[in-house]
Amino acid sequence: MKTTKQTKHIKRTLNYLFLCLVALVALAPILWMISASLKSPNEILRYPPTIIPEDIKWENYQAVFELQPFTQQFINSVVIMALVAVLTILMSVPAGYALARVKPVASGAIFLVLLSAMFIPPEATIIPLFQYAAKLGWVDTHYPLVVFTAVLVTAPIATFVMRQAFLTLPAEFEEAATIDGSSRLRTMLQIYFPLARPSLASVVVLSCWYSWNQFLEPLIYLRSPEKLTVPVALTHYEDPLAGPLWGAQMAATTLSIIPVLLVFFFAQRHVVSGLTAGGLKS
Amino acid sequence: MTTETATSSVRRRPPGRDTGRSPFGYALLAPQMIGFTAVGAVAIIWVIWLSFHHVNALAGTQEFVGLDNYGRILTDPSMITVLPNTFFFVCVLSIAGTVAALLLALLLNQTLRGITVFRSIIFIPALVTMVAWALVWSFIVQPEGLLDALLGSVGIDGLPWLRGGWLTLVIFAVIQLTKNIGINVVILLGALQSVPQELLEAGRIDGAGPPRLIRSVVLPQISPAILMVFMLTVVGSFKVFEIILLLTEGGPGVQSSVLSFEVYKQGFLLNDIGYASALAVLLFVLILLLTAVIWQARKRVVFHEDD
Repeated sequence: MKTTKQTKHIKRTLNYLFLCLVALVALAPILWMISASLKSPNEILRYPPTIIPEDIKWENYQAVFELQPFTQQFINSVVIMALVAVLTILMSVPAGYALARVKPVASGAIFLVLLSAMFIPPEATIIPLFQYAAKLGWVDTHYPLVVFTAVLVTAPIATFVMRQAFLTLPAEFEEAATIDGSSRLRTMLQIYFPLARPSLASVVVLSCWYSWNQFLEPLIYLRSPEKLTVPVALTHYEDPLAGPLWGAQMAATTLSIIPVLLVFFFAQRHVVSGLTAGGLKS
Repeated sequence: MTTETATSSVRRRPPGRDTGRSPFGYALLAPQMIGFTAVGAVAIIWVIWLSFHHVNALAGTQEFVGLDNYGRILTDPSMITVLPNTFFFVCVLSIAGTVAALLLALLLNQTLRGITVFRSIIFIPALVTMVAWALVWSFIVQPEGLLDALLGSVGIDGLPWLRGGWLTLVIFAVIQLTKNIGINVVILLGALQSVPQELLEAGRIDGAGPPRLIRSVVLPQISPAILMVFMLTVVGSFKVFEIILLLTEGGPGVQSSVLSFEVYKQGFLLNDIGYASALAVLLFVLILLLTAVIWQARKRVVFHEDD
């Protein structure tokens, strides 16, 4: 009896040790970044490095805003993200409903076409899309980042998610509503859409996350510093001769991460279900 | 995934109520489909068309060259490095990524005090943008950075992390793998938690120990989720882009480059649009082929695909 209790105890300790190791691998880069962002230029390059800054300096955070219009770049990212989310919802919710509940002729084929969009890598279409944007006069504007992203990436994935959501809702609602004389449109708007709200939250999180993370596209389409988005701006904290300005770069990176962590902290359930929604099976 | 059942239920529906069904459905699908055709289909046809041409970006001329650009892929000496690198990432990231996510999910599925905190922590890197993650790591692996200091304290002196060769590829794989593993872990955790307790109970009564339970009950039950994670990591593994651009720019030479980075380099840094388009088509075809093969193989590995 005593030995089984002991082995149980050892097993639990090992579990915790391993969990702590995993947590360290996940968190160490982020903690190291925050620590570096608070160091003086002198201390940041010292070897061996200090884990905790000797005295906390905020000058790196000042530099973030002096070197680039970081506030503007942050606003750009947020606006683009919001527009992508809105456009994604406008396209994917009706489309998902059509594929799950209305099922017009050939909807199976349409679904497969949309599903295949998930496998198109952005690198494969960036060359024609850039030429496309150039022809439309969209270079150095935010239009391609909103329109192309929503139409090509986030809306197809969201349609997939919304289709699953409407499939899990009982079909009897539709029959009952039809008997009561509700039109197709009204059944959709007043009965099914409100019931699919949790999945709508997932779709918003998913499209926001995708847009916020985008790097290749803004890197290609945007030129002027005041038009850049956060991920591209982060890479511009460099001196042409001396290389990366680590302090300012780490400070800017910290600033870019904090709002996301706050959102995660307050809406953890929605964030988790949103980011895993793309991979969930029916 | 359930298209077969979808079409059959359409057929079963009584015909009388179907009036106006298709027009209504098409109206709902229209914004998505028109947008998708106008951007996606056009882009794919366009990139294929470009891949058959020699494009002079400065003069703005395009000259039809047939399969020349594809022939160049075969004779390009840098492809001898780039293609194996690409396959290295695809194999390592998909297999190691799925196995690691599965082990972590099993670990995090236990009932231990404070386990929810650990579940949240493993998700945090997924919230950081890939660029931020790559920048922090480039700070960590720079000469005389944190990694050198940590290894130095146990007597290992400054390894050439970013000077090409397998070491650079391995460190890139680690950076990429740790970034999004949290998402896969949570997908698998969700599947693990929906394994019916009765099945586990029945297995225990039949005398199966924990390893046997995992192999014979848990793994078959969550195999659809494992397949989904595997497909996601396969597709994702072709997109090791940010790390390469920010840490080595593919260098030295093309030693740490992959196909997706070569598309960017040829197309936007060297302005060789025809060749870059051919590489882009190759990338697209490789992903489609690989996912099609996995999708076909699923019937043999995945338990109760039809539910």
